[in-house]
Amino acid sequence: MTDVLDENLDDANVFAGNEDAVDGDGHGTDDHGHGGGHHSSLGLSNMKLAMWLFLGSECLLFGALISTYLLSRARFIQELLAGNPNVTSTMPDFLVEEFQEAGSVQPLFDIPFTSASSFILLMSSLTMVLAHKAVHEADYRNSKIWLSATALLGSVFIAGQVYEFTAFYREGLTYTGNLFGSAFYTLTGFHGVHVTGGIIMLMSLLVLAFRGKLNQDRAETVELVGLYWHFVDIIWVLIFTIVYLIP
Amino acid sequence: MTTDSTTAVHDAHDDHHPTEKQYWVVFVILGALTALEIYWAEAFREPGGGILVWPLIIMMVIKFLLVAGAFMHLWFDMKILNGKLFTWAFMGALVLAMAVFAIVFAAFEFQV
Amino acid sequence: MAITERPLALPSGDVVEPSRPMGILARPRNAANWLTTVDHKKIGIMYGAASLFFLLIGGLAALLIRIQLAVPNNSFLSADAYNQVFTMHGTVMVFLVVMPMGAAFANFLMPLQVGARDVAFPRINAFSFWVFFFGGLMLNTSWFLGGGADGGWFNYAPNNGIAFSPSNGIDYWNMGLLIAGIGSLTGAVNLITTVLNMRAPGMTLMKMPVFVWMTLVTQFLLLFAIPVLTVAQILLASDRIFGGNFFNTQQGADPLLWQHLFWVFGHPEVYLMILPAFGIVSEVIPTFARKPIFGYPFMVFSGIAIGFMGWGVWAHHMFVSGIGPLSVTAFSVATMFIAVPTGVKILNWLATMWGGKLTLNTAMLFSIGLVTQFTVGGLSGVSHAIAPSDTQQTDTYYIVAHFHYVLFGGALFGFMAGFYFWWPKAFGYKMSEKIGLWNFWLMVLGFNLTFGPMHILGLQGMPRRMQTYDPAMGFNFWNMVSSIGSFILAVGTLVVLYNAIVSSIKWKKAGRPDVGPDPWDGRTIEWSIQSPAPEHNFDVDPAVESLDDFWHRKYQPDEDGKLRRVHTGEEIAQPGNGEGVHLPAPSYWPIVLAGSLPLIGYGLIYNLWLAVPGGIIMMMSLYGWALEPADDLDVDDHHGDHDQDPDTDHGEPVLETV
Repeated sequence: MTDVLDENLDDANVFAGNEDAVDGDGHGTDDHGHGGGHHSSLGLSNMKLAMWLFLGSECLLFGALISTYLLSRARFIQELLAGNPNVTSTMPDFLVEEFQEAGSVQPLFDIPFTSASSFILLMSSLTMVLAHKAVHEADYRNSKIWLSATALLGSVFIAGQVYEFTAFYREGLTYTGNLFGSAFYTLTGFHGVHVTGGIIMLMSLLVLAFRGKLNQDRAETVELVGLYWHFVDIIWVLIFTIVYLIP
Repeated sequence: MTTDSTTAVHDAHDDHHPTEKQYWVVFVILGALTALEIYWAEAFREPGGGILVWPLIIMMVIKFLLVAGAFMHLWFDMKILNGKLFTWAFMGALVLAMAVFAIVFAAFEFQV
Repeated sequence: MAITERPLALPSGDVVEPSRPMGILARPRNAANWLTTVDHKKIGIMYGAASLFFLLIGGLAALLIRIQLAVPNNSFLSADAYNQVFTMHGTVMVFLVVMPMGAAFANFLMPLQVGARDVAFPRINAFSFWVFFFGGLMLNTSWFLGGGADGGWFNYAPNNGIAFSPSNGIDYWNMGLLIAGIGSLTGAVNLITTVLNMRAPGMTLMKMPVFVWMTLVTQFLLLFAIPVLTVAQILLASDRIFGGNFFNTQQGADPLLWQHLFWVFGHPEVYLMILPAFGIVSEVIPTFARKPIFGYPFMVFSGIAIGFMGWGVWAHHMFVSGIGPLSVTAFSVATMFIAVPTGVKILNWLATMWGGKLTLNTAMLFSIGLVTQFTVGGLSGVSHAIAPSDTQQTDTYYIVAHFHYVLFGGALFGFMAGFYFWWPKAFGYKMSEKIGLWNFWLMVLGFNLTFGPMHILGLQGMPRRMQTYDPAMGFNFWNMVSSIGSFILAVGTLVVLYNAIVSSIKWKKAGRPDVGPDPWDGRTIEWSIQSPAPEHNFDVDPAVESLDDFWHRKYQPDEDGKLRRVHTGEEIAQPGNGEGVHLPAPSYWPIVLAGSLPLIGYGLIYNLWLAVPGGIIMMMSLYGWALEPADDLDVDDHHGDHDQDPDTDHGEPVLETV
């Protein structure tokens, strides 16, 4: 929950391109003595530095979540193979048998489906950089197209995740049932919440774009949303391999 | 450490961004790697173990670096003065996270 | 800084009437309003006031504990109430007193010491404060809503599960700290950006005051430690509220996961509580020893080393948790190593004082108090690093003695030194030295009477967190001493509030005499502006040439190479003329956004429907915030210059019409 807030907080400062900074990069240095401007010691944009710091902090967040998932999955399989009745009674028999036979949770996953949605998220990263490039180059027609494409691809990904959750739930993996269910839904759900936050930011950018307010000056705003978006994509690269491919 | 911010900022925006074609190339590599990952996971599921896991991890790392380097502009930020700070902040956090949680796993592993 | 309504000249030459960004909650006009302020100095003062307020709550809990333990077989508090009181005492003191007090100094002081106009993101700064404050209040409402948390401030699993703690106390602990954690995280991003990117021209990293360095290290620790706690708390919330299984041992879950996550956060936490105090005394001691800090680079690098090594020692809190001999050995060695950079700091303070002309005023005394008492705490800390020894000491009062010596005798004494030292810069008058001496000596006496005997009790084997003890156990005498000491300590601590009030009244009666920009003959550039610090901080960006820049402008070597005073602080201080300075405008959104979070927290605890209005307010305030320009264009400033440099403000007015 916190994270939604954290991320929306960033989103708040980012999407409308609102330089909260006393001195955003655009202000640069004011050489006329009294000015409100202030030197930027490193010549970097405050917003961009802050975004990178935030993403660094997110690394620790997802690091802890992924570690929790790995540990929980290992303990779950261990108990399942040992035939702990507390664990086996939480899922339908066929799922238990499949898991026991494979010695992993792999039989649950629909790899082709998840691969497709992974590919879609990767593609959205491409459209995101193209959107940034378009805004940067004042190509406002293409910027709208690429922003819409990114938001759309992100939504398709989320729709896929909702479908996947529903399918797993129908097969008998519940959040409250066992350790694996809790860990899987928490990790992937957290990522999904991050993507959703990103979509909200993209939609806000789109509204600005259609009102003609997303001009070249605000390229950095798009870049910041982009940084966040790519980060979420990177996390999915990790989750895809660690959760879905490696048993 | 202090630089003339105006020039540095403008450098960051004008010179070092990749072209549209480069973005597409990166994307194609990413797509190809994903396909390879899926193939590998399918083909080496049976033997399992190191031959399955390590190539998958290597491909994951390459994908990670490609997105961070090209799409998040880290490779290009490295070329501007002080832009390396972004890389340090992010990669430092990443290394810290990996180290800390590796130790956590080690602690669980050696818990006799 | 008059507020005027006037048409705005755009670079294009068009004239537009400034429009209010939002119909409701339009821009607050009263710049003096504390609720909407974005001024880092006011926010710093609010952090300080809030932490003192929580100090009263935490201190009251401490006194209740000491009353209960004063005599054997006491029934003053029930076992259940005792659990709540010591848990909340620890939680409040760590998260709502020591951490925000560090934040108070970081907020007030760091921008002044780096010569910045404000922090990088003033509105986020206000948000950080309010979200901490509301989180803290929410945590403390649990006293009245079914009882506080009762699992110890670390709330080990599975003891923190519903089965063992059915009241809502731990849920409040969880939600309150999650919310306060958001504030710490946004604060960390904000302050790091400020230190790295907004230093005065010429202030390279190695010319920053030690306090700024320690702030930087502290905020990096927060930035990376808070998310780990957040994850642990999310897992706990999942278990307690949504029926998850992360710590459900019947499903094969490993409760050690909680301990690891908590202490991965918890040990950096320990250092981020003490480092601000280290920074403070590193400013106070050179000023009153009239010598530059000894071994500045060592001070800096030992601080950084503590920051790094703080990540590799967490399992020394778990030596008896069954983590295996290999882990115990590794963490034991790592813990002994971390004593080295801390020892370096102690030696450097001593060497700074060595041969200096010491002025033993209250601020200096408190600093010396830190150095002395922290050394005691540090030495008992080394004895825990040795695992076999720790196996005997853990969960006894010896540990309690240790961490109070470092946190109270260390951190809090450092903050007291900071209060006395920077009080004139914040409020324009000095606190009374006479009362200050009482304050210091009462605190030293009370502190050592309270916590000194705990070493003995611990070695005698008295366990922590026990509600009472049998008279035959032999704990009676020292417990009574400790309880008496705690009341002396409480009185001693309250003296600082008394001093602030009395000195303020006296100052006002005397017609508010000007204390001058530089009452202590200071070294760093915050003393080069008037006291209290003007709203705009510096009239012009200070140009920094050296470490202790202000000192070097006052004292220069003569022909013989001897340092001579060439200026007084008053002569070269900036006059405090804020004309033409443009300040970030106040905003309602930070407090509104922060206020929406506890609503969501209560909703998660009681009924999700309650969270709905919270969520709606949150989304509205996020958009309100985003659509409100950070700079208010119709507040008087230098925007008349638009014709000359159209680049200065890109596009802000356009957004106002959104």
